[in-house]
Amino acid sequence: MLWISSQLPARELPPAVPPPEAISFHLPVVQRLSNGLRILLIERHDVPLLTLYAIVGKGAEADPPNLPGTAEMVAGLLPEGTKMRSAAQIAQAIDQAGGTIDTGAGWDESYANVSLLSDHKELAFDLLSDMLIHPAFAPQEIERLRRQTLSALDIVDQDPSYIADLVLRRFLYEGTPYAHSEDGTPESIRHITRKDLVRFHARNYSPSRTILAVVGDITDQQCLALATRFFGQWRNHSSSHSETSIRLPAPRGRRVIVINKPDAVQTEIRVANLAIPRSSPDYYALTVANQVLGGPAANRLFDTLRTRRGLVYGASSDLKCYSTIGAWVAKTSTRSSESVNATEMMLRQMKRLRTHAISGQELEMAQSYLVGHEALEFEPPSQIADRVLELMMYHLPLDYWNHFAQHIRSLSTADVLSATQKYLHPNDDVIVLVGDVSAFRNKLKKLGPVRVVPIAQADQVFPQLEKGTAAYSESRE
Amino acid sequence: MIRRSSILWAWRALGAITFLFLFVSGSALGAVRLPTFNIHTLELPNGLHAVMLVRRGAPVVTVEVWYHVGAKDEQPGKTGFAHLFEHLMFDGTKTLGEHFSDYIVRAGGIDNAYTTDDATVFWETMPSSNLPVALWLEADRMRNLDITQATLDNEREVVNEERRQRFENPPYGTVIEKLYQHAFTVSPYRHLPIGSAKDLNSATLQDVKEFYDTYYVPNNATVVIVGDFSLDKAKAWVKKYFSPIPHGTHSVSPDIPVEPPQTAERVVKLDQDVALPAFVEAYHIPADGTPDSYPLELVSKILSAGDSALIYRKLVYERQLALQADSSANFSEDPNLFFVFAVMNTGHSPAEGEAAVTSILDRLKDRPPSEQELQRAKNQVLFELAQDEESSKNLAEQLGYDAVILKNPELINTEASKFLAVTPQNIQAVMKKYFVNHNMTLLEVYPDQKGQGTLNSRGGAH
Repeated sequence: MLWISSQLPARELPPAVPPPEAISFHLPVVQRLSNGLRILLIERHDVPLLTLYAIVGKGAEADPPNLPGTAEMVAGLLPEGTKMRSAAQIAQAIDQAGGTIDTGAGWDESYANVSLLSDHKELAFDLLSDMLIHPAFAPQEIERLRRQTLSALDIVDQDPSYIADLVLRRFLYEGTPYAHSEDGTPESIRHITRKDLVRFHARNYSPSRTILAVVGDITDQQCLALATRFFGQWRNHSSSHSETSIRLPAPRGRRVIVINKPDAVQTEIRVANLAIPRSSPDYYALTVANQVLGGPAANRLFDTLRTRRGLVYGASSDLKCYSTIGAWVAKTSTRSSESVNATEMMLRQMKRLRTHAISGQELEMAQSYLVGHEALEFEPPSQIADRVLELMMYHLPLDYWNHFAQHIRSLSTADVLSATQKYLHPNDDVIVLVGDVSAFRNKLKKLGPVRVVPIAQADQVFPQLEKGTAAYSESRE
Repeated sequence: MIRRSSILWAWRALGAITFLFLFVSGSALGAVRLPTFNIHTLELPNGLHAVMLVRRGAPVVTVEVWYHVGAKDEQPGKTGFAHLFEHLMFDGTKTLGEHFSDYIVRAGGIDNAYTTDDATVFWETMPSSNLPVALWLEADRMRNLDITQATLDNEREVVNEERRQRFENPPYGTVIEKLYQHAFTVSPYRHLPIGSAKDLNSATLQDVKEFYDTYYVPNNATVVIVGDFSLDKAKAWVKKYFSPIPHGTHSVSPDIPVEPPQTAERVVKLDQDVALPAFVEAYHIPADGTPDSYPLELVSKILSAGDSALIYRKLVYERQLALQADSSANFSEDPNLFFVFAVMNTGHSPAEGEAAVTSILDRLKDRPPSEQELQRAKNQVLFELAQDEESSKNLAEQLGYDAVILKNPELINTEASKFLAVTPQNIQAVMKKYFVNHNMTLLEVYPDQKGQGTLNSRGGAH
């Protein structure tokens, strides 16, 4: 573009540099112990650190239907004592080595990580294996964690962002094992017994469904010797590993849920559609589409809501891809009075992505970003481990990232359009607003049939209660 | 240290507090067994400084431009200006229009900025081949920023949303702001970088242009480059792109009011719409880099780094008084605060938590920590430093902070030894000196009627 103006300095452009190159990732070797435990080593000797990441292939998705929070509680209790060590002894050991233990549950996995100064290699394997294989689930530790979790739930009950994500999840994933709170509810946390925890552990923590990523200052031989010594005796239980298959819910029409928090100064907004599991071939095209809509860098939501209108601080969209299901979620928060306006602007952007192909320039920008960004993703060793574990968890080939650039670059604007038309359904989306309804009540009807619920009752809002809901209804406040 | 993914640790209000301490770990040491880095520096005739560290490995580079202006340079009635201005730096130059980030994104890079009490920092992390582009862009916006009434009005709205999102809407979000208002009487640290909405609404185009002309000049800027790049080429690009920018004509060293020593304990009580009571004890501490800052940083580790640390063990684990309890030293260029804070469990009052904290602090005043206790704290500091060395971004943060705030870019190689030299007696000495009642501001948060009502109504459902 030619642009001449007498008042401005001579038009100058940044220096031209070659487009980013695709990375070539040196494939790590995966070894397998006789009990089926897979070990992935990423050797790095420049910094005296060693990190062990253990991923166990079941998470909150495997929570018993009436006991959400079980997977998280099991993982939370791993460092709280084993058959050989008390919680205090574990804390003392890891702290003295300057390190950290990190445990938790995602949706498709539970994890336990140990990271420390690398002159304590043996301790790392010893602690991690002990926690994974022999957790004590001591009654007093269970009661302590139960109490802590109940207190924490009391706090997040007042947090509009947390409530928005939680309500969205219930409606979006309705009828699937992904529809509950991974943190549990006050009800479920009160009712989980030691037996439930022991059963979850026995059923889901086994070497054949565990991947151990070893990252840092350790040699191949040291790693295999220590892994064999500390994990070699771990036995598989005979319980069958049936993979759950999910039947996707039939289209249910748009659902709009508004949670009223009268003292809120901002409204948290979520708009979402079901999308794809991680292994879907549509992942590449939707990744590009998401990049354009609300991806990590320049995007339409940010541009429309913030840069052009100053309505929000942040606006973004994310692909959440699990093993059997996934979603495309757009989120933002805005001052109360603009809640419906901002929601409509998001909806317009999503609709436009379905009715019009993105421009060639947008495609080129998204492709260029996604290809070049891989170099950053493979910088810190911890991130390298994450990227490879993701492949192993979702049964993708280990050389996946070496072909990623080629897949992204081969897409056309038509490919992206057909993906958005397949997955963006304005008539079947879920919209959640958490904020002060008095500031936008009269505009709500623009969004369709709406259900308004006071925040104190947010933990009782479930899709099945909606049957027979009038076009506009409001619960007692 | 044990971390759990659960909501206990993802709780955002503590995130907001932790956010203040980004630079505590960033300003840490360099260690015995850690690599020694070759730091290269450059000063241009217009006063611009550059600090560079080459690190072979992933083909990635981080560029940071540190402007030595932050919230503490703001005058009363003009709070929030430094941060507002940070936003304006993304809104286009006279040369390029609005495309700053496009050139970073196109290369697969990411860019952002942040404002602290002491500095405003702009950064880009990207594939190394894009280094000259980032340097060109940074030089361009140091000289050719296009500030208009429209962009000012827009960013003011954006910052107001930021204030609502990060401080006003989350539970406990305004606690730290209230604490600083009471802990300081004249120091500009008494307001947070986010500033007040009222002051921001009164900012004029003239004000922000003056701010730009005064502070966004080469003699107030340091360019930091860390990653896998050619040192000779980088130096040449820095000279080529930044040399033409003239030295600033305004003074950039305003007289910053010095906080007088506190002589009596201050107590503040707040009623908020939260579910559980909480408290924060804040003690005045000296500036970062002073001799006492090293033992004080280790005190925070002894008190609260890990489940075996004193505060966690006593308040959270053994007595279960608190849902969460922590401590942290917020070091900065001028004297700041050391915090001890806790969110109480249902049924426990702040007073119970405060009494437990007092007994722990008294123990460390009465007798020094054991060698083992101190060694644990030192290992934790070494570990954090080693972690920072795993990414060019974290190294650049540390290098920039050392160069601009602590005035010594070589600290990255020498600071570890200062931590390792700390003795148990040094710990006892700083405990006695700083952890005294007349040096403390205590802030207690109580659930207001709405908070209580929510609890009761839910409790009644079961």
